Amino acid sequence: MKRYVMRWEVLLLAILVVELLIFGMINPRFLRPSSLLFGTSDFVQVGIVAVPLTLVIIAGGIDVSFASTVGLAAIAFGIANFFGLPLPLSLLVGFATGALAGVLNATIIRLTRLQPLVVTLGSLYMFSGAATVLSGVVGANGYEGIGGFPAGFTALGYAQVMGLPMPLFVFLCFAAVLLVLLHLTRFGRLVFQIGLNENAARHSGMPVFRVQLMTYVLTGLAAALAGIMLSAYFGSARVDLGSATLLPAITAAVLGGASIYGGKGSVLGTVIATFIIGYLQQGLQMSGVPSQISSALSGALLVLVVALRHGAALLREFLPERAAQAN
Amino acid sequence: MLERIARDRVATLFLVTVAVLSLVGLAAPGFLSAGTATIIWSNGLVLMLVALGIFPVILTRNIDVSGGSILGLSAVVLGLALNDGFALPLALGFALGAGIFAGVVNGLLVAGLGVPSIVATLGTLGLFRGVMLITTGGEWIEELPEALKSLGAKSFGGLSIMGIITALVIVAVWWFLRSRRGRWVMVTGDNREAARHLGLPVRRIELLAFTWAGAMYALAGITFAAQIGFVPNQAGNGIELRAIAALVLGGISLLGGVGSVGGVVIGVIFFTSIDTSLVFLKIPAYWNDLIGGAMLLGVLLIDGRLRIALEARDRAARYRRGSQAEQKSRPLEDAA
Amino acid sequence: MEPVLAELDSVSKSYAGIPVLKRVNFSVRAGEIHALLGGNGAGKSTLMKILAGLVQASGGDVRIADAPLVPATPAQALAMGLYLVPQEAHIFPNQSVLENICIGLPKPAAAYRARVQELIAQIGVSLSPETKAATLEIADRQIVEILRGLVREAKVLILDEPTSALTPHEVQTLFARMQGLRAAGHGLVFISHKLHELRAVCDRITVLRDGNVVLSANMDQSTDSDILTAMSPGVTELEARGAGRQTSSEAVLALDALSGEGFVDISFDVRRGEVLGLTGVVGAGRTELAETLVGLRPRTCGDVMLEGQMFRANSPSDAVRQGIVHLSEDRQQYGLFLEAPLFWNASSFVYDRLPFFLRPGTERKRFARYREMLGIKCASPDQPAGSLSGGNQQKVLLAKCLVAEPKLLILDEPTRGVDVGARNDIYRIIEELAAQGTSVLLISSDFDEVVRLSDRIAVMAGGHLAGELPGGATTDEISQLAFEAREVEHA
Repeated sequence: MKRYVMRWEVLLLAILVVELLIFGMINPRFLRPSSLLFGTSDFVQVGIVAVPLTLVIIAGGIDVSFASTVGLAAIAFGIANFFGLPLPLSLLVGFATGALAGVLNATIIRLTRLQPLVVTLGSLYMFSGAATVLSGVVGANGYEGIGGFPAGFTALGYAQVMGLPMPLFVFLCFAAVLLVLLHLTRFGRLVFQIGLNENAARHSGMPVFRVQLMTYVLTGLAAALAGIMLSAYFGSARVDLGSATLLPAITAAVLGGASIYGGKGSVLGTVIATFIIGYLQQGLQMSGVPSQISSALSGALLVLVVALRHGAALLREFLPERAAQAN
Repeated sequence: MLERIARDRVATLFLVTVAVLSLVGLAAPGFLSAGTATIIWSNGLVLMLVALGIFPVILTRNIDVSGGSILGLSAVVLGLALNDGFALPLALGFALGAGIFAGVVNGLLVAGLGVPSIVATLGTLGLFRGVMLITTGGEWIEELPEALKSLGAKSFGGLSIMGIITALVIVAVWWFLRSRRGRWVMVTGDNREAARHLGLPVRRIELLAFTWAGAMYALAGITFAAQIGFVPNQAGNGIELRAIAALVLGGISLLGGVGSVGGVVIGVIFFTSIDTSLVFLKIPAYWNDLIGGAMLLGVLLIDGRLRIALEARDRAARYRRGSQAEQKSRPLEDAA
Repeated sequence: MEPVLAELDSVSKSYAGIPVLKRVNFSVRAGEIHALLGGNGAGKSTLMKILAGLVQASGGDVRIADAPLVPATPAQALAMGLYLVPQEAHIFPNQSVLENICIGLPKPAAAYRARVQELIAQIGVSLSPETKAATLEIADRQIVEILRGLVREAKVLILDEPTSALTPHEVQTLFARMQGLRAAGHGLVFISHKLHELRAVCDRITVLRDGNVVLSANMDQSTDSDILTAMSPGVTELEARGAGRQTSSEAVLALDALSGEGFVDISFDVRRGEVLGLTGVVGAGRTELAETLVGLRPRTCGDVMLEGQMFRANSPSDAVRQGIVHLSEDRQQYGLFLEAPLFWNASSFVYDRLPFFLRPGTERKRFARYREMLGIKCASPDQPAGSLSGGNQQKVLLAKCLVAEPKLLILDEPTRGVDVGARNDIYRIIEELAAQGTSVLLISSDFDEVVRLSDRIAVMAGGHLAGELPGGATTDEISQLAFEAREVEHA
């Protein structure tokens, strides 16, 4: 199994390299280190939510509400700031909002035993509604959002750490933490085993709900992180900050190897897939393709990836002998 | 009481709807009138058609979240065809064709390749929206001809042509589900393996369900364009979620195999009544999403807890009955 | 000679390169009942699923009424007049019994109502066509499956172990129906483990072993011992019971009037180093009792003492911490993580004793120890559990239990679907464990197994404790307790 996963990630890496080379040939400016590095600021928020989302999916769930949680947490943070709370407290408010969103999702899923998709679709809807109402309360309009952040905070959005742009640095650190958490710790083992066979996990006495709750809370926290980072980057908190992350993030997780049936996936795969998707959009834009197309591409890519995977599985069924040898 | 609420969802929801409307009538005089009823019906048409589309898909234990995008795509095809000078019937045909084609794509992904329906339709949700944006170049389609708008305007007894077509569709679905083949759709979602075992063409049934859904989204797109007279970029955005919410509310189980047309209709009417009431109560529009979402989650919560409570009771009853029956007579044969 | 109605011609099947059927020939003629016999994993069910189009053969030809089965789908097989009554009933829970039976037939269900009611009356069960199928018990579900077969009047009817949940009376009426179909020129295949049932109705017999046909003869020309030898030559006999053990009289587990879902007022104790057999027929409440003990089901009343202390577990991990480990009867659904490495499986009861930062090396070494002790045949501790045979999977589960070092081990049907060789190994392991002082509560429907292993035997029937027998009791004595109460009322 391990060998297979490794191979998938190697393949992803190869795709990324080929992609960069192709865009580099079309437009040599694309391959400049500075544009490669600072271009990431436009899409790392996708990766920040995609990585914990991978954990949710591995544990047998799914969450689509993060796309609204990004905006909701940003608005909560913006409002706290608006009412004059000191920055650390405002940040706390933002992150608490994200965590609470995760708790709410997991609790409702647990209480209703409904498919997580349906529940989080509902909360996707409700969180963005709540964000809209909240921003309406302080009289901000949808396009400008809530601004007025301290200069020190907005500067963070453009700061550099060890030569890396701040958003990329934050993303890589966050991904590294989750990579260790998922692949090297007891918690990560539970995430995998619960996703592989929830019944057996329950009969083995594993804390199924607590682990699933943790994965949803992590996703909520990540969404808050993304929302706050984007607020710093754009200088204002808006309701729709996260709406463009929904499809790319799910695509990144699935492309990265996470199985929607649970039990399979890897942080590294999701991280590489994030770069594939991000650079694809950027490369297309730099090659003069209108931005509407790149949004369609996320969807097309997701369809293509799952179609290929399932197509390949179907093919294997017809060629049982060869599959046996390949293993 | 518990049982009534859960088992006879349609009647319960009907009573709740009547109660809500009466309360709003108390708060906003002039609300309760035949005029309001036709407003609710016509406001709910698009949602009703989308819900009627997803309905069979959910009965087969799949899900389709690409409805909003297919709706938008069909509306754009319709608008562009009309503005390019095609005759209305031809343009309507194109729009319907686009919806059916999109539905077939979904169906092939799910029934043909075995992609989980949630992943497949999340993907096509983005894909079809993108295709739509590319087709229009991001522009809104405006100045649609009067002939189209007349489809959405009141004509017979306060109903529009689309309103009448929708009513006919409802009757057709009701009739179909009672038929022998209609059962096939129900049982495919109830137990797919059993359906296959009994020789039902389960893949074809799934493919047809998605195709039907595409056709209904197209009808919804046509209605949408006819009602507002132009096609904005975000046409249909998020309507699939509202439709799914209405279906759940109407007692259609997301686990497949359970649900009735009556449930679809009353679920949609309930949702539309709430929206219409908010307008009458002069609550700002930006509250809509919050109220809608909170209502959906509330319904899911109540629905889920009711179901679990009932299951626990059924199970307890079975154990009680089981042990009585054991004592009465079921001598199993000696296992030697 | 009567015409052949269905035929499998040198059919092979392999899963992931492992052959389960090797060039098997099989046929059903008009007007015969053909018995198909074989041990667990011999390939009977796979063979019949190929005939019914549910599984695709890797090689060979399938013919129904002299025409090839193309495409090989259940729909096509049905259209050609063949129906398979599967071992486990496929039910549409939200449909009525009538709809369940009539789905897929050419007319609406209402058209068959009279026919279904007539058949229900003939078999003599109380089953209303309007009942929602979700409320049916297992036996009634199986009757619905049989009715599906009878209503279809298929030219070829395959019955895969249809009698396992039926009463003797129901079995007799089913046999009468089968004989009626035979007289009308239908061909039937009857799969069963019960030799006397096969003798009662069958004309021909085919025995499968390891995917090969090892016996094919007329029923009246083959003796019982021919058939048994064909099924399992060599290790036919399970090893005899080991020398008597010394068991202490100290109770490790004591139940006092325990009640819960599906059982009432159960009291017994399990002593240190003892194997207590808990037996009865399917549905007697044994599994529910075990699941209640480890906190998987709610307890309604009664007390449990573990080593003299009040015991109550809220979850299986709670039970494991206090020293009780429970192995479920459904290995694939509730026991194993089939796609996870073996050493993950072995550690899954003690996940909370693993360090936060895992040390897989230590876990692999621990697994290797148990692998040697239990004789698990595998290539590497990183292999997925699903790649092992049934017997080895069961040993991995035993390893999973033993890693938790339990005081009391509850084993629910530990040898279900396990071949004779592995069964002997598992028996030896259980005896060794008891000898080392572990107490074992052995739940099994196999009376021979219970007699073979138990120091004492508790028998449950209909949710009650029917009685307790000393070790060395005969299977007849157990049957009497397991069935007696109800047979009296039935008479």
